[in-house]
Amino acid sequence: MTTASRLRWADALLLIVGYVALDWLSFFHPLHGLYITPWNPAPALALVFMLRYGWKAAVPLAVAVLLAEIWVRSLPAALPASIAIAVMLALGYGAIGGVLRRRIGGLGIFSDRSGMLQWSGIVVAGTLLTSLFFVLSLVGLDLVPAAGWLEAAGRYWIGDGVGILVSMPLLWMLLDERGRVQLLASVKRPDTPGYLLAAAAALWAVFGLGAESDFKYFYLLFLPIIWAAAREGLAGAVLSAAVIQVGIILVVHLQEFSAVSILEIQVVTVVLVLAGFFVGVVVDEQQRISAELRHTLRLAAAGEMAGALAHELNQPITALSAYGSACEELLARGETGDRLKATIKLMVAESYRAAEVVRRLRDFFRTGTTRLEPVALDELLAVAAAPFAEQAARSGVALTVGPMPEGVLLADRPQLEVVLRNLLANAFGAVAERPAGARTVSVSALPEGHDRICISVEDSGSGLSASAAARLFEPFNSTKSSGLGLGLAISRAIAEAHGGNLWAEVGDRGVFRLLLPFEGSPSGV
Amino acid sequence: MSDLSVFIVDDDASVRDSLGLLLGLRGYRTAIFADAENFLQALSPDWRGCVLLDIRMPGIDGLALQRRLLEAACSLPVIVITGHGDVESARAAFKAQAVDFLEKPLDQAKLMVAIDEAFAKYQSSSQRREQRSHFAGLLATLTPREREVMELIVRGGHNRDIADELGISPRTVEVHKARVMQKLNVDGVAQLVRYSLGER
Repeated sequence: MTTASRLRWADALLLIVGYVALDWLSFFHPLHGLYITPWNPAPALALVFMLRYGWKAAVPLAVAVLLAEIWVRSLPAALPASIAIAVMLALGYGAIGGVLRRRIGGLGIFSDRSGMLQWSGIVVAGTLLTSLFFVLSLVGLDLVPAAGWLEAAGRYWIGDGVGILVSMPLLWMLLDERGRVQLLASVKRPDTPGYLLAAAAALWAVFGLGAESDFKYFYLLFLPIIWAAAREGLAGAVLSAAVIQVGIILVVHLQEFSAVSILEIQVVTVVLVLAGFFVGVVVDEQQRISAELRHTLRLAAAGEMAGALAHELNQPITALSAYGSACEELLARGETGDRLKATIKLMVAESYRAAEVVRRLRDFFRTGTTRLEPVALDELLAVAAAPFAEQAARSGVALTVGPMPEGVLLADRPQLEVVLRNLLANAFGAVAERPAGARTVSVSALPEGHDRICISVEDSGSGLSASAAARLFEPFNSTKSSGLGLGLAISRAIAEAHGGNLWAEVGDRGVFRLLLPFEGSPSGV
Repeated sequence: MSDLSVFIVDDDASVRDSLGLLLGLRGYRTAIFADAENFLQALSPDWRGCVLLDIRMPGIDGLALQRRLLEAACSLPVIVITGHGDVESARAAFKAQAVDFLEKPLDQAKLMVAIDEAFAKYQSSSQRREQRSHFAGLLATLTPREREVMELIVRGGHNRDIADELGISPRTVEVHKARVMQKLNVDGVAQLVRYSLGER
């Protein structure tokens, strides 16, 4: 989104209150009693607003800077000078925000690696320029001694840059509805307490154990942030970065570190945090791509279904129209006897057949997208096998369901039912040629590793040769005269959309295996 | 109607049954087959008519069967029908000399036109075949010398050249030529050339 949103009064107020509050929170170790502090997250909020609302946010931003000046710092300079500083800062952040908007656009900023890279580059360069400009102006106003300008600019740059780089993704997500949803989802994940504890432990190790030796355990802080990023993407990285940053600031504040060592720690922190963000963005990208792939597979399945629908309906329609013309022919000859009646009966049968095709295929279309919900394994297998019980009794097939472990699948229930029914129908077809008494079909499940389940549908039919197994999943490759030739192709697409797989084993009896992600919990659902 | 038949090969029972019924009522003789194997087993050189062939069948599919018929120099023209028409299969069908390529559900007017076209093609080709075998029979009645003379005439030689080549008098060539024309029942050199080219 490159067009700016409308800035309402509430937004302006949020900016002012938030800016002043962040400035108040982070106001320690000021250099020359000015803005130059080692950690300055308030500009991150300013940038988020400039990005979202464009130059319209510059006025409330200048007001916020001025208020902070008055309230947090008790107005170190004369009022006109303070106003000039506020306007200058608003212009500086506005310029950085403008460059960000133009280069990356609004929404894509934290969604991929290139957006992330450009964002960090622009922030580093932009804060360098504004800090130079700002400090030189302060020197001109005699608020900073001319001899100390380099140190002042350096500190200002690091304070601002680190503040923005560390806090901006979090503030960005907090102010965006989708971002809030992601953060909330991330907070609720079972990993979250784990990496938060790890962060606390790492902080203790760094500043407790390793404090005497120049924080030699600092790298331990990589563990919680990389953990969070790898599991939960950018949202996790942002959360753990915020916790680590706040923890570091608290520790250095309580232990009364010198401003110089705080600056050093901040520089290392920004490297840590950026590493975490990049891992998080890569994880997000990978998840997005796999979701897109699933979607594509579903589309492919739907496309195949449409083709199948056309093909399968063509047969009864062809027969219907030929029978219809035959009836016309019979009537034209004045034949209204049994032959006409028989032909009309055949027409009715064909229209039922067409209706049956539609009914069967509607199963596939019933859910537009793969909607995952927890499904108990035993329930799924029982429901899928139930329609076959009667058929089994009628045609003398011994149908067994089980054994299987207890547990829950994350699955689109109707789709998996379709897959299982399809496999069972194939199995029943395969055993039909066997003599009575030698017809068995079984469904069972075994855990595969600790997070997967392998559901097997086996039959006592003649099995598959290697070449048949290889061609089996190709669309329109049917061995049955009435089949779609598509059931297995679609079943496999569904299995893959669930993050699983479906294959047939070569052998002298029919074995199909359906591998799916599984949570083997003894409690069930 | 003629003594020509439509041989229907389709794996779908209702489709082949309904087509058989309809074509039967329209006065065609029909024979139906559930798959390519059955058709090939029953196939006989005495069959006259055309084949109505579905592409998608288990086992040997329609296009493969069409190719086999072509390789076996079967004289029955083929109409291909399919529920799943694509350019690739249409191309394959026409390259194997299909008379027509029809999509299911079938347009019956098109089907009738295609069948009539296939019958016409069968008849003209069988006429040609008869002509050819008739001519071959006549050719067998020529003496070796008359055969030599005929081949030289067909190649475009004049009487004098032929006489020189065979070492006989032009007058004798004239006699042989007249006998060839009479035995083969042709009116002139042009017709002789046409028949003998058709024979090859």
